[in-house]
Amino acid sequence: MKKKITWLVIVVLVALLVTGFINGAIGSAIFGQERYLEKPAIHLPPQPIFPQSVRDYHLGYGTEEHSTEKPEKESHASDEHSASGDKHDNLESHSTEKPTDEHHATPLGLMDFAITNTLVSAWFASLVMILLFGLGARKKQLIPGRLQSIVEMMFEMLLGFASSVLGPELARKVFPVIATMFFFVLFNAWLALLPFYQFLGFINESGSIEAHFIRPAGTDLNMPLALALVSFVLVEYWGIKSHGLGYFKKFFAFGKIIRLKPSGIIDVFVGLLELISELVRIVSFTFRLFGNMTAGEILVVMVTFLVPFIATQFVFGLEILVGLIQSIIFAGLTLVFISVATSHEEH
Amino acid sequence: MEAEAAKFLGAALAIALGVVGPGVGIGILGAGAMGAIGRNPEAAPAITTNMILAIAFAEALGIYSLIVAVILLFVV
Repeated sequence: MKKKITWLVIVVLVALLVTGFINGAIGSAIFGQERYLEKPAIHLPPQPIFPQSVRDYHLGYGTEEHSTEKPEKESHASDEHSASGDKHDNLESHSTEKPTDEHHATPLGLMDFAITNTLVSAWFASLVMILLFGLGARKKQLIPGRLQSIVEMMFEMLLGFASSVLGPELARKVFPVIATMFFFVLFNAWLALLPFYQFLGFINESGSIEAHFIRPAGTDLNMPLALALVSFVLVEYWGIKSHGLGYFKKFFAFGKIIRLKPSGIIDVFVGLLELISELVRIVSFTFRLFGNMTAGEILVVMVTFLVPFIATQFVFGLEILVGLIQSIIFAGLTLVFISVATSHEEH
Repeated sequence: MEAEAAKFLGAALAIALGVVGPGVGIGILGAGAMGAIGRNPEAAPAITTNMILAIAFAEALGIYSLIVAVILLFVV
């Protein structure tokens, strides 16, 4: 009986896979019927959603020029050249044609305050983190309950990892910031796999989602950049704290050249390289996280477009792994850089 | 050549050339890890973890070129 059900499930899954393949973009190109889904549009910059005026402006509701533009887009949708031209227009229009929209998108200007969909996702992830760890640590018992033991297990694993890099003493001091960064990246990546990230959104006239209500924060360049800056400041802070102002001797190594030793030139050059590599870290931190999260989202969208229904699940499996690895890398690299900055080695 | 065609060609070249390096890198890493596990099978879990971490570094480079390709296709 159990075997029969297993076989039935397998047959249904394979049937869905085959149906998806035939009806998706690949199958419809081979067999020449109509596509099941329309070609996805990818919005790299985050979209403002909260003040309705800004959102409508962004989506093109209510403004005359856009409402005349929209039907034109529909009629030309079959013509590939103009369709891609329009898509180009959709993504680009806010920065080139209407310069006012650019500062609508920045949350910094108080007058043009706008909440983007990536910000909502960052709040959601923070909320889940606070709830999980708050509830887990509320009743501290010697014999932990289920939730408490999960939380304790996660923290012990992370603390063990930190101690193996930094040594137990420094690891305990650095741990709160590192753990926050780790879990923020992890929760942002994993919660983004929940289905309501994909289907909650504001639709346009043709019925497809124009702006998602909530979108993973890693796909907004600002979130990785902010985390990278925090990590950079943390590394420099611990470097200065352990070496005093002598920490900067690593970067501006003029000690020998002032005493007119010819080998001092090499020191100056090495210091310059150290300084550059210190600053380049911010960029590589930022784009590593942003790239991985964005690539995951694009992969999900594209696989859904090519082979609908089942094939996306494999990508989701991959995304779970990628989210974990990226958060380990983010926290781990910060730890390694702190350990490099605090090491007392004499050359 | 049309500007549109140059855009598609640029995106294709960016991703095609960009994944060669990470591919070679991941291959070297995998070969090294397999050799190490063959020599010392007890250390397999630690080696695997470190290998995956190192692979993620190599993979990030490929993802940079993916980002460039996506920007070329959808934004520029």
